[in-house]
Amino acid sequence: MRALLFLVGKNLKNIIKSAFKRPLTLIGYIIALLFIIFVIVAAFAMPSGLVRMSSPKLFRGIMMLVFSFLYYTSLKIGIEKGSSYFRMADVNMAFTSPLHPNQVLLYGFIKQLGGTLLLLVLAMCQIPNLKNNFAFEPHGVPMLLLAVVVYTLAYPLISMVIYSWTSVKKERKKLMKRILDAAALTVVLIFILDLSRTRNFTESLGNVFDNPIVHYFPVIGWTGSIASSAVSAFDASFYVGSAGMLVLIIGLSLLLYRMKLDYYEDVLEATEFAEQVIKAKREGKNVALYLKTRKNVRSGLSGQGAKALFAKNILEIRKTSLVFFFDRMSVTVILSSVIFRLIMPSEIGSFSLLIILAFSVYMMLLIQLQGRWAAEVEKHFIFLIPASSYEKLFYATLSDHVKNLSDGIVLFTLSGILFNADIPSILASILSYVAFGAVFVYSDVLARRLFGRAHSKNLILFVKILFSFALIIPGVIAAVIAASITGIELMATGAVGAWAFVLAITLFIFSGGIFNNLEAVS
Amino acid sequence: MLKVRNLSKRFDKVQAVDGVSFDVEPGEIAVLLGPNGAGKSTTIKSIAGLLRFEGQIHINNVKNKEVEAKRAFGYIPESPALYENLTVWEHLEFIARAYSLGDWEDDANRLLARFEMDDKKDKLGKELSKGMQQKLSICCALLIRPRMIMFDEPMIGLDPTAIKELKSIFVELKDSGCAVLISTHLIDSVDEVWDKVLIMNKGKIVLIRTRSELDSTGESLERIFFEVIGRKEEGEG
Repeated sequence: MRALLFLVGKNLKNIIKSAFKRPLTLIGYIIALLFIIFVIVAAFAMPSGLVRMSSPKLFRGIMMLVFSFLYYTSLKIGIEKGSSYFRMADVNMAFTSPLHPNQVLLYGFIKQLGGTLLLLVLAMCQIPNLKNNFAFEPHGVPMLLLAVVVYTLAYPLISMVIYSWTSVKKERKKLMKRILDAAALTVVLIFILDLSRTRNFTESLGNVFDNPIVHYFPVIGWTGSIASSAVSAFDASFYVGSAGMLVLIIGLSLLLYRMKLDYYEDVLEATEFAEQVIKAKREGKNVALYLKTRKNVRSGLSGQGAKALFAKNILEIRKTSLVFFFDRMSVTVILSSVIFRLIMPSEIGSFSLLIILAFSVYMMLLIQLQGRWAAEVEKHFIFLIPASSYEKLFYATLSDHVKNLSDGIVLFTLSGILFNADIPSILASILSYVAFGAVFVYSDVLARRLFGRAHSKNLILFVKILFSFALIIPGVIAAVIAASITGIELMATGAVGAWAFVLAITLFIFSGGIFNNLEAVS
Repeated sequence: MLKVRNLSKRFDKVQAVDGVSFDVEPGEIAVLLGPNGAGKSTTIKSIAGLLRFEGQIHINNVKNKEVEAKRAFGYIPESPALYENLTVWEHLEFIARAYSLGDWEDDANRLLARFEMDDKKDKLGKELSKGMQQKLSICCALLIRPRMIMFDEPMIGLDPTAIKELKSIFVELKDSGCAVLISTHLIDSVDEVWDKVLIMNKGKIVLIRTRSELDSTGESLERIFFEVIGRKEEGEG
């Protein structure tokens, strides 16, 4: 075990040491640290229920919905690929060394605990918003964070056990997938039935997800009950949930390394997949959202010189999309944005599209990360194409704008119908969405121009997210002023959209010369 | 030293390895030859304890997944995977700790010097080129002074000096009584060093020959290889 602790310690020490070697990176880490401290202080210190005191029932409903979604998606991937706390270096060195597999598993747990930190920070970022809308108990924040930790420890274990059982026979894999899908479909159907009765989204959310069966439902209900205790006194469901998850985590760990020591193969494929995810992250892609490549797409490219980049990107998008340009990212952004608006209180009134625009832009920033161009510069081809740097950048990023336009049309046409918006507002929202997409893409290009190939991709992404938020603040202020003076949604959307458009053009001009000084990786 | 009996491994509908049996004795260099997809890497990964399999694998008379067996063998994977945030020296220190090695520092220094990496001790894993990563991966496996060692496509990514050094290491390992198993599809790369060749195709071992057996018939390894896998030798009509 000492050898593995040595590994954990040295890793941590070297990350810190290497940050000190690069002043820009160090500044980035300091900003990240200050932000985390700010978020922690804000999460714990800010009073709750200031804006409104929504019912604990709604809070429970939201928590159960969130954890149902998290478990469903992670277990689906788990069945397909297994789950792993490890990297390939662990497979090649630690797995083959004379260390007991149970020690190696424990080492994996320690690493996973480190991995939960990022998720905890993300969870903490949501706390101010939750505190504004719900009356938190004094123990509320720690309980919410405990639920996140419990989830991140439990799902890889459950995935590993399910994978070991299903990997033996294809029929088992199919069966498990069907069970999961059937369960998800049942929940959706129950929800739709309830919605048809109540005609109120938030009420139905409470009805379906806040009832004793759900509270005590293994795993999802247990985790949700721990999170739900943030806004209510500790009750039976909390104690059952906590005890249940504790027994589950310990029990599955014991099952994995006492009863069946041979788990290396189970994590091998998952580790290879995790390695792909990390590689894709470096290239700015989100593997979880682009799992399969379609082969039945008619190929053939058009355009000469830099334009060929655009044609190639469009072909790639079509190959990884569900239909046309519509992929899992589109589904996630569109569904989550519409659900977010439905959960929002009714006093938002006529500003539905603006709320959806704000949330979808936020989701786009989190999910899209860097766009396709980042993958492009990981390969040498773009550097060799005989065209100007501006031309290459324009065509390498054009496909992102086309895809955002396609997503925007679906999202805001659907939202416009749902919330009775007028056509000019729908058009303004679509164009603003595309403009924000361009801001994120070109701010990333500029960051790459300033920082070069990132020392730490996570750090650069983090700085980029903060930077992007800072950049759009004037637009948000303009929108608030326009809304308060005119009271018209179109004016507010137009103001923020116009700012995003100007910003995107400016960023493009500043970042356009990137290929004149960027070095190729391969 | 290494005994493999009726080794089979199936991935879903693909029988990757099908009833393979062979031995590698101490002081013997065995080469696992075969085209891409023949099952060489799956065989090596099964021996290294990374995959479940049917059949028996014994290393030093102990089942391959036992801790005592692991103490005896070294493994160099096809694609080097290192800890991004560990330096070259810390990788070696980790291995020394994991295998409870004593007085390893001199050996580590010697290995690094041999592979011209003695000036890169403080480089992080992620700062190394692919070839350097491969060299470090080899150093880590050699540091444990293995009694059996497996190389999975070891020459890929190495510079000519390192290839030459590695070939002389193969011979030194053999002379020290170590059993060496090398998986490759590059026949030329191992032509000078092998004692026993195991040719795999479609998951089965289709031919086992010792060097003396081959010498007595006067055939070349390359010709035998193409004969048994049923393809025409390059350059022949």
